[in-house]
Amino acid sequence: MAEMEVKSGGGHKGPGVKKSKKLSTRVDLTPMVDLGFLLITFFIFTTTLAEPTAMNLNMPKDTDKPDEVNKVKESGSLTLMLGKSNVIYYYFGSDPTKMQTSGYKDLRKIILDKKKSTPADDLYIIIKPDKDATYKNAVDVLDEMTINDVKRYSMIDPTPEEYKLIQQTEAAGGVQ
Amino acid sequence: MGRAKIKRGSTNVDMTAMCDVAFLLLSFFILTGQFKPSEAVEVNPPNSVSNTHAPQKDAFLVSIDKDNRVFLNLTDDIKGDIWDELVAEKNMKVTSEDKKDFVATDFVGVPFSQLLQFIKISPEQQKNVKMPGIPTDSTNNELQAWISAAATAGTGKKLNFLIKGDNATKYPAFSSVIDAFKKNDIYKYNLVTNAEDVPEGTALYEESIRAQHEGK
Repeated sequence: MAEMEVKSGGGHKGPGVKKSKKLSTRVDLTPMVDLGFLLITFFIFTTTLAEPTAMNLNMPKDTDKPDEVNKVKESGSLTLMLGKSNVIYYYFGSDPTKMQTSGYKDLRKIILDKKKSTPADDLYIIIKPDKDATYKNAVDVLDEMTINDVKRYSMIDPTPEEYKLIQQTEAAGGVQ
Repeated sequence: MGRAKIKRGSTNVDMTAMCDVAFLLLSFFILTGQFKPSEAVEVNPPNSVSNTHAPQKDAFLVSIDKDNRVFLNLTDDIKGDIWDELVAEKNMKVTSEDKKDFVATDFVGVPFSQLLQFIKISPEQQKNVKMPGIPTDSTNNELQAWISAAATAGTGKKLNFLIKGDNATKYPAFSSVIDAFKKNDIYKYNLVTNAEDVPEGTALYEESIRAQHEGK
């Protein structure tokens, strides 16, 4: 493979002719292997094999007409307010003062419990990310809608009262 | 008694085979890999279970970095048209040289007032420029002008509006980008995310299992 057979030319040389020393043609390939693997690592790190995926998001048109507004049954609504430091405040129905605190780990359970106890057509989840929520929080919650097959949900800003309530809770709970 | 002589084997390993493998792998990675496209800023998108690939053609990508700055990234196939449209809408005085510079620019992250100056810098140097981001506030919403130019320029084509936010991006920044789109009557977006496995036992998981069975 890496060595070549070299036929010694003069087998029958006369006396007095110096026999030429046969040099080994074996090449040490170790540095070449090193180089090869170095380049491989380089290319693995610089290339992107995984293409980014995309999540579809369709937003409704903003409307001022009261008859075009979505109507939500109070019994079927779940409002999730996304606050600072990955905390979720949620309440059922339309009374924000009854809100409870939770985290993203328990979010699925809350949604599934609500889904089980509500007729499928009535379920409506309202997502209200506040000023301190991150983009990741919003994507996580939207993702949770896909995961749990929630058909009807919407994303809006919290009302000033709700925002105030969140801030009070955060101040009381010492959330940074 | 003569003890049998142990023949000392050579410790020289033939590296040829290993060398072959190394270079085979090397050529494989060179041929299949694509270089990471140059990015204006580092943006780490969140994960989602979505498994559709982000469109790469006719893409109008709005990136929001962790400091809530907004950048614009256009694919080459629509860049020229959008520039023409923007110049017409804004009544800017530009030369054909400017257009060439703009097409060579990978990303835009400056207000219109600095735009002509910015695109004159060579693409290699642009990465080192500290960019303030495209203004999206309600009084001076320049992103809206970009979108409007893109929507007009992309008439007849299906433009893909992509939004890529960082994990740490604050929600209001994302919301203002959405508002800029809404003002132009665009309601469908693709959020760029990293793929993630569907958690087991959930509704979506069961559906994907079912889909797999039906596909067989």
